[in-house]
Amino acid sequence: MLPLSLLRTAQNHPMLVELKNGETYNGHLVSCDNWMNINLREVICTSRDGDKFWKMPECYIRGSTIKYLRIPDEVIDMVKEETIIKNKQSRDPKGGRGGPNQRNRPAARGNFGGGPGGGGGGRPNKPGGQKLFQKNKAKPS
Amino acid sequence: MASGLDSFVNHTVSIITSDGRNFIGTLKGFDQTINIILDESHERVYSTTTGVEQVMLGLHIIRGDNVAIIGQIDEDIDNRLNLSSIKAEPLNPVVH
Amino acid sequence: MASGDDKRKSSGQLQPEREKKRKESILDLSKYLEKTIRVKFAGGREASGILKGYDPLLNLVLDSTLEYQRDPDDPYKLTEDTRELGLVVCRGTSVVLICPMDGMEPIPNPFISQD
Repeated sequence: MLPLSLLRTAQNHPMLVELKNGETYNGHLVSCDNWMNINLREVICTSRDGDKFWKMPECYIRGSTIKYLRIPDEVIDMVKEETIIKNKQSRDPKGGRGGPNQRNRPAARGNFGGGPGGGGGGRPNKPGGQKLFQKNKAKPS
Repeated sequence: MASGLDSFVNHTVSIITSDGRNFIGTLKGFDQTINIILDESHERVYSTTTGVEQVMLGLHIIRGDNVAIIGQIDEDIDNRLNLSSIKAEPLNPVVH
Repeated sequence: MASGDDKRKSSGQLQPEREKKRKESILDLSKYLEKTIRVKFAGGREASGILKGYDPLLNLVLDSTLEYQRDPDDPYKLTEDTRELGLVVCRGTSVVLICPMDGMEPIPNPFISQD
C-alpha cells in the first residue's frame, strides 16, 4: 500500500500533522496532492513547546515540511476496498499489493482528533516529552 | 525498484527518525521516497532514570525525509526484553 | 508516435478524476486575493499581509506586510514584537504554511490534560 493512497483515503478524516519545525496541526484533511501538500480545515495549531495554541479555519501546508501524520486507525481498512475496486476497473495485474493481507479490525479504536480525552498539545520537541495523544484502549495482541 | 523494504512489509519494524525518536510498528507500505505507513505503532521513549516508556500512537505516515534507520524486529527477542529495566540516553536529533 | 499518444489518452480516460487533480493545484489562492493571510517560512520567519498576487510556484506578493519578530535565542519562538515590511515578494520555495488571518486567533489549551 502506498503512503499517499492512505493519505488520499484519509480525506475528510481528522488527523494530526507534525512539521519539521516541531509545530503540530490538528484538523480535518480537505485535500492532498502527490507532493503531500495538504489542506486542513478547523485547525488547532500547537507551538513547538506545546504552550501556545491557535485556532484557524483552514490552512495549507507544504508537504516537504511534514515530519509525520497521525491518521485514525480505521482509515487503513478503507484503502483496501478502494484499491480492489480500482484494480477491477483497470484490470491491472501488477497492482493490488496488500490484497491478501486483509483482516478484520474492530471498527473505531479509541477516539481521535483532539476531542475531550483525545489528548493533544503539550509536547516539547524532543524524545522523553509528554504524551501527545493518550488513547484509552487495550492493545489487541 | 527494489529498495529492500519489500521483505519488511507486514512485519514489525523499528524506525529511528532524524529527530531522534524511535517508533515501533507494523510496516504496511512505503514508496520510492521512503514515506512509510506504520500501523499499530508505539513510540519508545528512552530515559536514563525511569526505563523505557511506551506511548501508544496507532496509524502513522512518516515522511521519508525524516527516516534515518528502518530495521526489522525479531518479535521473540523483543518480547523477552524487560523494557522497564532498560535505561538509555535519548538520541539527539540529526544536525543538518 | 500516434499509437503512443492513443495509449496515453485511453489510460487517461480510465482515471479522469485523478488526471484533473494532478493538473490543478489543491490550493486556490484567488480566494485570498485582497485579504490578509498569514505565511510561515522555512527557518521560522512568520509574516502577514494583504495578498496582491501569486503564481503556481507559490511565490506571493504581499502588501502592508508585518513580520512577527522572534526570540533571538530561539528562532522558532515568536515574541510580541512586529516590524513593518510594506510591499514584499515572498519566495515560493520557502513558504511552509498559508492560512487566512481572518478567523486565526490564539486560544487557551483546548486539549484536556489527563496527567
